[in-house]
Amino acid sequence: MKQFNASHLEIKKWFTGSFNTHPYELGWADEAIFFIIIEHIKGNNPTLTARVEISHDGVTWASDGSCPVTISGIGLHPIKVEPNFGNWIRLAVDIDGGELFLNIQIHAKG
Amino acid sequence: MSVDEILLRSRFQPLERILCYDVFNTGFNGWMTLLPNFTEYPDFDVPPTLVNKDQWPPVMLSSATYRYPGSHGAMSGTFSLKLSTRPVHSPYEEIPAPGSMGHAIKRLSFYRPGSRYLQIECWFSYTAEQDSLDPEGTPQPGLHEKSIRAFGMGFDIQERGERYQVGVRHLNCFNGNLVQRWEIENSADVTDKEWAFGLEGDWCKRGIDPWWFGRRYPDGRHEAFQIIPDSHQKLIYNETDCKLNWQYMRLKIDTLNREYVEFQCQDRIWDLRGTHVTDVPGYHRIDNLINPLFWVETDQDRRVFFYIDSVVVSQE
Repeated sequence: MKQFNASHLEIKKWFTGSFNTHPYELGWADEAIFFIIIEHIKGNNPTLTARVEISHDGVTWASDGSCPVTISGIGLHPIKVEPNFGNWIRLAVDIDGGELFLNIQIHAKG
Repeated sequence: MSVDEILLRSRFQPLERILCYDVFNTGFNGWMTLLPNFTEYPDFDVPPTLVNKDQWPPVMLSSATYRYPGSHGAMSGTFSLKLSTRPVHSPYEEIPAPGSMGHAIKRLSFYRPGSRYLQIECWFSYTAEQDSLDPEGTPQPGLHEKSIRAFGMGFDIQERGERYQVGVRHLNCFNGNLVQRWEIENSADVTDKEWAFGLEGDWCKRGIDPWWFGRRYPDGRHEAFQIIPDSHQKLIYNETDCKLNWQYMRLKIDTLNREYVEFQCQDRIWDLRGTHVTDVPGYHRIDNLINPLFWVETDQDRRVFFYIDSVVVSQE
């Protein structure tokens, strides 16, 4: 039977500007989805742009080559990670135009 | 006898009945991050608290992959369970900073009458993030052993209407002072208010959640922990942050008399008999609870990591 796991990366917290999610190891998994849940909004329809980053050591990071994803609005926003992400993975996040109250999870299967 | 059983009996000293034998190369096995309770308005919010627990980072299955050597793997395969911190800390004597600890827990229960002894044993390792060199003039500026403040293991227990938390921590380094000694969870004679750093308004009880409650002092004392005599022990921190050595530890307690029994790390054993636990009246809905747990804490603004290859929880 395959393995599946969901982990929180951020829980019920206001964010603005730029931040990166906690370095996460996923060498056991074949597929991964980041779920960004926007619970509350302050400002004029702020946007969140997320880029998937990968790393060889969990310290130095680079884009995985996929296009950044921009989201807005209260609700659930999945970001499916392209295959061949290797082991270390994180989201680089930029919030523009206000503040967002977020939950972020990573779901993985393999 | 299967190879698995040979390994179990060779690497561990389980009591008569094994509740769980978790080898993390096979998966999480029900171990997860400890998080706060989501019980309040307006949307499953967290009760107000002095210590923000929702910043403890997620536990993960780690291949222990580093910049130069690549993957270290685990003792039993490729993956171990990894606890980590965020790169934040407060001075030792202050309330732990949000994210300065990582905490893993599994949730079990008593299941047979007459169980007296309860034991947890594991193979573990630890290291600090190989993020940046320490300032000019520091000997071995890329060796970050002093970044690890503490790690430990133990239980949250409630039986026969009393709740208590028992465990052992390796106080490795506080405010840069390398002490490397073992301490058991046992509370000083303080009030619930003092236990909560002298502040009003928290729900905490003396003896409960010793990992982040209980006042700490600049000399290393902690009102939640009691130093084990003659417990200075230099564990293996092998020359560089990217070398792991798998080490053994075991804690046995007596749930009938509510006492510590003994602690072992590597080839040393400490007799703890006669040391009563700090117990409080039981909480609602959790009688017969056994929650084994691990934690790690950073002493600098640097992530530190605690790895568990495998763990056995047993009773008799």
